[in-house]
Amino acid sequence: MKQVQKQTLIGMRDQLGGYTWEDAEISELVDPKLGIITGFQDLLDQLEVLRKIDLQAVPPAADIPTP
Amino acid sequence: MTAPAAFAPITELAVQLRNGDISAAQLLEHYADRIEHLADISRAFISLDLERARAKAALIDADFEAENLLNGIPYACKDLFDVQGIATTGGSRVLADNIAQQDAEVVRRLDRAGAIFIGKNNLHEFAYGATGENEIYGTPPNPYDPTRLAGGSSSGSAAAVSYGLCAAALGTDTGGSVRAPAALCGLVGFKPTFGRISTEGVIPYSWTLDHVGTLTRSAADAAILFEALVPGCQKSSTTGLDGLTIGIPQAFFFERCDSEILDSVERLMSFLRNAGAKLESVAMPSMEYTRTVSLTVQMPEALSYHNRYLEQRGELYSQDFRAGLALGQCLLAEQYIRAKRFVETYRRDLNAVFDQVDTILTPATPAIAPPIGAVEVMVDGSAEPAGNAITRYTSFFNMTGHPAITFPCGMHSAGLPIAAQLVGRHHSDESLIETARLIEQVYDFELPLPDLR
Repeated sequence: MKQVQKQTLIGMRDQLGGYTWEDAEISELVDPKLGIITGFQDLLDQLEVLRKIDLQAVPPAADIPTP
Repeated sequence: MTAPAAFAPITELAVQLRNGDISAAQLLEHYADRIEHLADISRAFISLDLERARAKAALIDADFEAENLLNGIPYACKDLFDVQGIATTGGSRVLADNIAQQDAEVVRRLDRAGAIFIGKNNLHEFAYGATGENEIYGTPPNPYDPTRLAGGSSSGSAAAVSYGLCAAALGTDTGGSVRAPAALCGLVGFKPTFGRISTEGVIPYSWTLDHVGTLTRSAADAAILFEALVPGCQKSSTTGLDGLTIGIPQAFFFERCDSEILDSVERLMSFLRNAGAKLESVAMPSMEYTRTVSLTVQMPEALSYHNRYLEQRGELYSQDFRAGLALGQCLLAEQYIRAKRFVETYRRDLNAVFDQVDTILTPATPAIAPPIGAVEVMVDGSAEPAGNAITRYTSFFNMTGHPAITFPCGMHSAGLPIAAQLVGRHHSDESLIETARLIEQVYDFELPLPDLR
């Protein structure tokens, strides 16, 4: 998987719809400075590892049944 | 009343009220004086509602119902909970004018139980972040060391109770935001089984991870609040510590942890063994990607709620929350669904652990309260973002939805509280709180009061 580029995220913003984030906020995703989000690329890399794990037929979590 | 009475648990205050040693009005004024005196230091409240509180206290005193333990007990709630006629700000400029039209369900329930609402607590903006820092309303400090954090996101709720400004508080817990600040401030923090306490009338952060929880001075107080908050609350099936099977996770929860915290939890484990509990090592689900899974659920859900305000008031959000919401926009739908499927595997795997044990014991946090303003903390020799460290041992149980309670079990040489966490089976909330209550009743540890001079 290639590194995510700021231009890719700007393209998503401009072409896929959704809130019009400022360029500075998109920059934060590819070059984090605020400390809370450790970087979108790190998250994507980890999600790519998770994508390769076979979850078989496990469905998404729903409410917890009452006994 | 003397100052230490401000630190009395509900169980003691209820006796004083019932015996007529103090009236509801006197108790309320005692807290009101402290709130005024400590307002600039604690930064615990965003708004107060003392006029209505005084009217209710007068009504209670005129016709006191002694059998109700919450009658006349002042409490506060995080400023995400609706209280009719008062702004629910979420700790943000975005909702500074958001006057609630009706009470949240939990506020209605506590009102019916006779508790007196006194005000709304400060928080990390919209519950986004575990440090509890708030650039608008200030950052609540830790009463044991005001240079350190109370922790968050329910920072004001923890500060309000631990500074002795009210008897108990409500918070929300999406990754540990009740349990962690309670642990850092020497309180008992409880989050129920997912869905067991109503979130109706509470501003959401992440619908499928949010839990309403309680911050109290004791597990006995947590039990009193739980009974009032949950319709059809059952009696606990726990009768004693003898024979209780307690799971000790083999990995993750005792790793990268402050050595004094480990020592305190190991002392507690020895005590539990001597009390007849059986401690068993348990293999937990893989924790390697749990933060990734949690974030992938949180941020799209948060964006979905806040989308309603972004177009008109987007510039009023703080910079860090906007960046988090932007991340929510960039995740793919399949990534969100896959994360939810991982959540389901975590639930199933943890349910299997509870086939072997009654409860699981962990440290509540791997570190003591970090300094205010610290971006990173050193934990066992390695640097970690402060917010990640604060919730490292708690956030997993928001995904699995199991009930969990944190309670003080030691004091660090830095003068800050240390806490342990117990986790129970789904819907075993009553038994879990009772187990913590039994421990606090007989465990030879008494938390010193904070020195607020």
